[in-house]
Amino acid sequence: MNPSIKLLLLFIIALEISFTMIISLNITLVILAMIYLLAHRTKLRTIGWLLIVPLLPAIGLWSTQYINGSGNKTLMAWVLFTRIYAFVFTGATFTLTTNILQLADALEQNWHLPSKFAYGVLAAYNLVPKIQHEVQIIRTAGLMRGQQLSFWSPKLYFKAILVSINWSQNLAQAMTSHGFVEDAPRTHYRHSVLCWQDWAILIIGVGLLQVGIFLVPWV
Amino acid sequence: MATIALKNLSYTYPEAQAPTLNHVQLTFNPQQFTLLTGPSGTGKSTLLKLMTGLLSLPRTQGSISYDGQDLAEMALTDRAGQVALMFQNPNQQFAMDSVENELIFALENRLVQPDQIDAKITAALSFVGISELRKRELNHLSGGEKQKVALAVIVAMDSDVILLDEPFASVDPAARASLLKRLVQLRDEAGKTIILADHDLTDYATIVDQVVRITPARQLATVPTSDWSALFSAFAKTNQSDQRWPLPDETATPLFQLQQVALKQGSHQLLQPTNLTLLKQHNTLITGPNGSGKSTLFESLVRLISYTGKITYLTDDIQTLRRKRYARQVALLFQDAETQFLNITVAEELAQSQKYVYGDYFTQARIDAAMAQLNLTGHEDQVIYTLSEGQKKKLQILIMLIMQSPVLLMDEPLKGLDLSSVHALVALLQTTLASTKQSLIIISHQLTGLTPLIDYHLLFDQHQLQYREATT
Repeated sequence: MNPSIKLLLLFIIALEISFTMIISLNITLVILAMIYLLAHRTKLRTIGWLLIVPLLPAIGLWSTQYINGSGNKTLMAWVLFTRIYAFVFTGATFTLTTNILQLADALEQNWHLPSKFAYGVLAAYNLVPKIQHEVQIIRTAGLMRGQQLSFWSPKLYFKAILVSINWSQNLAQAMTSHGFVEDAPRTHYRHSVLCWQDWAILIIGVGLLQVGIFLVPWV
Repeated sequence: MATIALKNLSYTYPEAQAPTLNHVQLTFNPQQFTLLTGPSGTGKSTLLKLMTGLLSLPRTQGSISYDGQDLAEMALTDRAGQVALMFQNPNQQFAMDSVENELIFALENRLVQPDQIDAKITAALSFVGISELRKRELNHLSGGEKQKVALAVIVAMDSDVILLDEPFASVDPAARASLLKRLVQLRDEAGKTIILADHDLTDYATIVDQVVRITPARQLATVPTSDWSALFSAFAKTNQSDQRWPLPDETATPLFQLQQVALKQGSHQLLQPTNLTLLKQHNTLITGPNGSGKSTLFESLVRLISYTGKITYLTDDIQTLRRKRYARQVALLFQDAETQFLNITVAEELAQSQKYVYGDYFTQARIDAAMAQLNLTGHEDQVIYTLSEGQKKKLQILIMLIMQSPVLLMDEPLKGLDLSSVHALVALLQTTLASTKQSLIIISHQLTGLTPLIDYHLLFDQHQLQYREATT
């Protein structure tokens, strides 16, 4: 499936379930997402983690609502509890099965976003693990000069921003030296396809969601 | 095939007072291998960036032309086909995640048809001899491997002129020799014009066609062939080292003790479980091919990465020590100088080190003298990030030396330094150590000028870390 359409569908689902209070719908979405993940050979262990990790925030939300909420406290508590899981699982159907490179390809080729933007997103994504390690290095470098850089220290952020600016300049030079020119035509080795089936899945998916929200008499 | 003409070229950085290049005149003939040499910080990088168009040359400041066509008027999309640049820092040349994706990205930019891309990638990788790296992630490669990938990208893009900016600064002799062989092959078989900036002159004597030097007046001068032998042999002599170091004395005080320590990079084993003792108040040199894991060893000694086994500092397992206290005991001089800096100007960096200093050796007078010795006087108010690589390195070493941590791990301290800077630096280290009694552990590919400092020699090769009696 085209990653950009998949992302769009998930956005619509997330937006709509944020405004509905149907527990069964949330659970249905979780089950559907789980079937999708299993069909894509996601490891059972990963699914196990997806169930365990959100438990703490979900219980937190549930109890806050149950203790301090107004109106139908029990209903709202369970809506929030299941909603967290619906977000996590529908989100996982994207992050666990889609490669960021495919998304960049789709944004560039199907939606004709400037290639600079598509590759910028990609490069930033590739930098995330480097940035985490860099923060650790900056803090160690600080300690070696006698200075403790806490997480709210302006120097840490100054240095991290400086490193990022430097990286972005170097990245721009690296891209230029590898022949990248803004707005110039490029060929595409990986072909990103956007076909009628993608649109059909989107339309049917959104349609079913409306049926689930407005027509099905959930109990 | 292109004749490159530099006409009356001058360049001054916006924030600088003196021009970096001053009325440069020179012609590079096609299919020639030119070695561009000169002390660090004299404008080699600037010249190469101007020649690629990464820095743009103001119209009134002369011209750069390829076969009579002015670079400034050349379409941006044609530039990469004409000229490619390989950077000094292996970590700053790639936009994508993997070797294959980077090559695809470059070929797409060059408008290569999708059905030809696979063949071009295969050819370029096998030309450089790194076919097995195709699917690897760039983040997991060593410096030498990254430079080989960078060359493969240039080969795939098929640019006429190949510029290289100190490409071997963190590359071991074996990888360097292999890269040089490929460059010669590119000149002889594909007719490429090659201009390589380097201050280490080893191995060039028999392969280059032209040697160009940056003069103190910031101009380019061709070194006559008759002077080559003097130039190269002077360098070769200083670089020859048949120095033998003794094996460490078993009874001396240990500094670090490694018990069954093993290191990994991704899934790749760097060091097999090893037992080893490093000695206090002695200086140990670590050499070995790049990618062998020398820097990773340092990172594990300062707890920046995880390892298996046990590392003891003096009497304690380093994992049991508080980070803050341990960082004051064992400091790391990072390979990339910028990593070390926390402030904006040179003076602020010096002030920070003075504020948190550990001992009283570095008085203001001694710091001033060291600044002069390292040729840094007058740069106090300059923003660190505008210094040349060589100046950054010297400042980095000075600020870490001022701290006087009992142990200083130095990762390639001579990187990017010319010979006179190396001598000044080693002299400074010797006088300082005589008073401060610090212990140094030094990783270096370059031994020229460094040998008087060294007591013991460790070789890191083929997953082993062992003491050696002689350098080979």
